[in-house]
Amino acid sequence: MIKVHFSRKQLCIPYALFLALFVVFPMLMILFYAFTDTVDGSITFTFANFINFFTSTAKLSTLLMSFTVAIISTAICLLIGYPIAYILARSKLRRRNVLLMLFIMPMWINFVLRINALRDLLDVINLLGTQNYLNTIIGMVYDFLPFMILPLYTTLEKLDNSYLEAASDLGGNKFTVFSKVTLPLSMPGVISGITMVFMPSMTNYVVSDTLGNFNITILGKLINEYFTTYDNWHMGSMISIILLVIIFLTLLATGGLKDSKTEARGANLW
Amino acid sequence: MKKQILSSFLSFSLLLPFLFGIAGCARNTDSNAQILRVYNWEDYICNEDSEEDGYVDLIAKFEEENPGVTVEYSTFGTNENMYNELKIGGGGYDLVCPSDYMIMKMIAEDMLEPFQDSFVQDSNYAKYASPYIKELFEQNGWTNYAVAYMWGTMGYVYNPEIVDKEDLTSWSGIWNEKYSNLTTIKDSVRDSYFLGVAYEYMDELDALAAQYDVHSLDDPDYAEYNAKVTQIMNRTDKQTLANVKEGLIDLKKYLYGFEVDSGKQDMFTGKIAINFAWSGDAVFAMDEAEPVYDDDGNLEETGVYLNYIVPQECSNIWFDGWVMPKGANVELAQKFIDFLSDPENAVINMNYIGYTSAIAGDAVFEEMSGEDWYGEGAEGDLDENGNPLVPYDLNYFFNGTSDGAYSDGDYIIWVSQESLDRQIAAQYPSEDVIARSAIMQHFDNNTNAAVNEMWEEVKGLPIPVWAYIVIAVIAAGIIIMILSYIYKGRRAEAKPKKGYRVLKKG
Repeated sequence: MIKVHFSRKQLCIPYALFLALFVVFPMLMILFYAFTDTVDGSITFTFANFINFFTSTAKLSTLLMSFTVAIISTAICLLIGYPIAYILARSKLRRRNVLLMLFIMPMWINFVLRINALRDLLDVINLLGTQNYLNTIIGMVYDFLPFMILPLYTTLEKLDNSYLEAASDLGGNKFTVFSKVTLPLSMPGVISGITMVFMPSMTNYVVSDTLGNFNITILGKLINEYFTTYDNWHMGSMISIILLVIIFLTLLATGGLKDSKTEARGANLW
Repeated sequence: MKKQILSSFLSFSLLLPFLFGIAGCARNTDSNAQILRVYNWEDYICNEDSEEDGYVDLIAKFEEENPGVTVEYSTFGTNENMYNELKIGGGGYDLVCPSDYMIMKMIAEDMLEPFQDSFVQDSNYAKYASPYIKELFEQNGWTNYAVAYMWGTMGYVYNPEIVDKEDLTSWSGIWNEKYSNLTTIKDSVRDSYFLGVAYEYMDELDALAAQYDVHSLDDPDYAEYNAKVTQIMNRTDKQTLANVKEGLIDLKKYLYGFEVDSGKQDMFTGKIAINFAWSGDAVFAMDEAEPVYDDDGNLEETGVYLNYIVPQECSNIWFDGWVMPKGANVELAQKFIDFLSDPENAVINMNYIGYTSAIAGDAVFEEMSGEDWYGEGAEGDLDENGNPLVPYDLNYFFNGTSDGAYSDGDYIIWVSQESLDRQIAAQYPSEDVIARSAIMQHFDNNTNAAVNEMWEEVKGLPIPVWAYIVIAVIAAGIIIMILSYIYKGRRAEAKPKKGYRVLKKG
């Protein structure tokens, strides 16, 4: 019998094919559509979609609205998520894994179901239909909170206690220890939490449509409209590309793209 | 080397399930069996999903009547999705059911197979389709490419316990503080654009209506009046767009929200009191909202009798119709339409979908003038409150489609005064409503882009003040960060704080 031996290269073939088919190819298609236009059935190269985006009141205001919704949702997620993650990670609670699971569990229930349940809840307390923006933000926070807590929890849990002890020994009070040691060391978690929440909340239009009664348009909704009802894949692709660039820039600004190896242990301590 | 080939092969085999998946999509090319590929709106035919509720599965019935034929039925969500799929060349569909404007677009782009002359002249459709609908198609030049399936008007469904009927005799009725947070309109650019245009030009439309005073299709002025209404409803010039945008943005502050499909449900659960709706959905909402009585007349479930009104200025006649994309199996597709156009089957379909079929004929009229639907008695009978029944004339729709049980002029249903505001008004609009109803044309690409842009602005504006504040605060924060960074950079060598001693090297 021939012994079969896979080389690493060979094992990579399916994944390479997968990447080529489902990541690279679609990206190229989007890029192609974004910079072309169909005129009388023939496709021509154009920057018109790009220019259109930045000269259209509607699209810029949608961008602004998406930004605002996403920033507020992310800030609230961080404000709620950090203390929870901190308490869970630093406390000596015996059942803290159970507690953590309780926070994560909503993620295991179907998203649409959760949002519709929330819709009914908001209806009961009379927010539905009157406070569209508030509802949308509540929905985003509700939906994305676990994505904030998880990375924060992981970084905070891994935090070496001896750093904190050392800081205390050197005369730092609790606040100083937190602001000079814990917070800077948990920055990678904060950044990955922010990116996990900020980006989807710019596009998750199911939340804004369901809870905001279709009163709020965010970028994801706009893309959907262009593909399904406006019948203009070119503009839809352009918005996707612009969104991609924005996300890329956010990552760059928050340092999320840096290779983790270059981030030496104390690098994040300013 | 051998080993390498084998392992390469094995790693490829990881992909096999995926490849099989593709192969499974390939078309079945058995030459004996014929396959009819139908592409329709979701929930738009009485088929197996509905069978358990006591409905007949029409697709199974068709397959039974035509041995050897298999129907592959699939559904789409929007006209544009369907159009793009056809454009890309997918599906291989034989029969598709787009809406009016999409049919116009497809005809203009020469995407459709014409019906055979024999079908146009002699088929169940030719015999039983309502003369009104056929005339409409003839006038617009669609006869050879499309046949109507379902049709209707647009209007307001409202809860008469909360809403004054008088307020809704005009489209402008929902621009009203009184109904603040009680109204939904469609999250659909074309439907809402229609609403905006009707609101914008209501004075002009009112003046036209007063000038021509047309209430029947036989009126010599009907054609001229309707053409003028159509012209107004299809205005897309810059000024109109700007005004409509303003009107709709203004409307937003009175709205509960926009809706795609939740309007009917929100109506009968009582969340809202007015819904800008397609007549078919209106029928469904009214049916669902009604109180339920058991056989002895005892109340089983409380409810409310919703009403439907088509405001006096105008309405939008819409329809969905069957077309055959290029390359379709024409014979088989026509057979299926013929089957659906049998009045018996049309009744089955209507009972399930709740929309109005374009098919008339004895079976349809019998059903709808029966007690289950709209018939409440004969001429001279009294309703529950002791008032005489009033006639509801549907001759414009049914005339000439009978097999002998009825003759022209017989199609009058006697109903109570209250019923005139209910299902029957939505399902079979009166001639009066039809006279002022126009078809919205398909917009060309540039117009479409302008209308969409307008709609985007309606949906996206106005931006609340607090959003600006948030953005301003964040911008300020970023500027401060950058400034402090620059400032820090300038004194890279930070001086040690007081109290610390700097240890000198060496």
